Amino acid sequence: MDFSLLGFGDDGWGDEMLRGAVMTMAVAICSYLLGIVIGVLFASLKLSRLVVLRYVADFYTTTVRGVPELLVIYLVFFGGGTLLRTIASGLFGYDGYIDLPLFITGMLCIGLSAGAFSTEVIRGAVLAVPAGQIEAAKAIGMSTAKRFWRVLVPQVARFALPGLGNVWQLTLKETSLISVIGLVEIMRSAAVASGSTKEPFTFYLLAAFLYLGLTSISNRGFVRAEAWASKGVRYS
Amino acid sequence: MKKLSLVLMTLVATVFAGQSFAGDWSKIRIATEGAYAPWNFTDSSGKLVGFELDLAADLCKRMSAECEIVGQAWDGIIPALQAGKYDAIMAGMSITDKRKKVITFSRDYAATPARFVVSDKSAMANFKTGVDAMNLTEVDAKEKAAIDDIVATFKGKTVGVQTATTHENFLREYLGSDVTIRTYDTQENLDLDLQAGRVDTALASMSYWVPLFESDKGKGMTMVGPGMTGGPFGSGVGVGIRQKNQDLADMFSKAIAGAIEDGTISKLAIKWFGFDASSKQ
Repeated sequence: MDFSLLGFGDDGWGDEMLRGAVMTMAVAICSYLLGIVIGVLFASLKLSRLVVLRYVADFYTTTVRGVPELLVIYLVFFGGGTLLRTIASGLFGYDGYIDLPLFITGMLCIGLSAGAFSTEVIRGAVLAVPAGQIEAAKAIGMSTAKRFWRVLVPQVARFALPGLGNVWQLTLKETSLISVIGLVEIMRSAAVASGSTKEPFTFYLLAAFLYLGLTSISNRGFVRAEAWASKGVRYS
Repeated sequence: MKKLSLVLMTLVATVFAGQSFAGDWSKIRIATEGAYAPWNFTDSSGKLVGFELDLAADLCKRMSAECEIVGQAWDGIIPALQAGKYDAIMAGMSITDKRKKVITFSRDYAATPARFVVSDKSAMANFKTGVDAMNLTEVDAKEKAAIDDIVATFKGKTVGVQTATTHENFLREYLGSDVTIRTYDTQENLDLDLQAGRVDTALASMSYWVPLFESDKGKGMTMVGPGMTGGPFGSGVGVGIRQKNQDLADMFSKAIAGAIEDGTISKLAIKWFGFDASSKQ
């Protein structure tokens, strides 16, 4: 290992790798948030009384969870730009070059998959709230909004957090797949640095430490969040 | 997995391979890998540099075009060209019949022979054939003997090679039934395994080996056997371009011919490779 390669500034690769880590975090956070939004939306579709809505949600979770993530990335990467250009020239007569920014492409791909997994986690958490509690809340005259915020949300959060923590770790690691489209995150920085310096071990090991650092720090955050969400629960 | 993903990619890209935005080539987008020193790589300040970056700048000046260089992973560099992400590929890509089925090429600008590399402690470290260089497109008796010699020497050994390269095609065609072929996604991973002794020999371009041996990362390794060109190795390295943009390919060919004639490419090749890897007229 040659540590002089890891310096900052123009002589070392430290700043490139760190920038890669920041990009990984940015993509992971944005995809995760997108995933949670999708998850809440599709979990409510899955629990809806309307069969059509349930089918739509089932279709989404089955396909996205059942297709390799890499394939989803290729579909969005190769298809997204072409679709945009077709729309632009068809509707607006614009024939120049336009494309989805790489960041948005990556975020959409990873977010789609995070969404499918979050859907199932949130659906399970909602079902874990005993029906009797909702009935009791109705019996004492709580409004629908109050039932939602005071009874459902705090408990769903508590049931869903461990599962959502898993989804976060998966999301963080899946971002490495988008290195194939050329977005410069940890994996692509490591590949470029090792190809340019011929020191693959140094840079892939550093990449492993960066991922490990990011996952273990964020894992602590989830442990805290779980403790906070369970503060009203007494464990015997 | 690798094969599957390549097939999927090609399918997806073919489906979406759409319209051209052709006509005027005052602006050209060129893709490169950025991780294949010294052809194209990234310096520690994050800038793309290398033989092809210098060459692209020169060719664009000759075509009076404004060029934008984009970094793209080697996997999917052709499908993304088809999907219109950029107009040309300059990434140490050899011109082969297989690739010509999907894209077109400019004339070649560089041609570097392929060589086997072994550990200098290996029993094969002094392996030589009757010829030092051969062109596989037309093989004479001496060259035929050299090929048999290669087959006999490496029989039963494990040979490492970067996947989806002309070098892999050569191994499959000439040594497929005699050796175990192990493929790697990057040349660096192959180097690691060669040093670790997990493969007995590795096959790659001389343009890759020479600079490696000049640095201390090439310690303990040595080039053996003849330098091989032609045949499965293709007809040199050229600019990859969508088939419907033959006009752009012709523009590149003309600019390259000019750069070969006035010695620009020789100068750049010696600067980056340490030997003259330029194509001849």
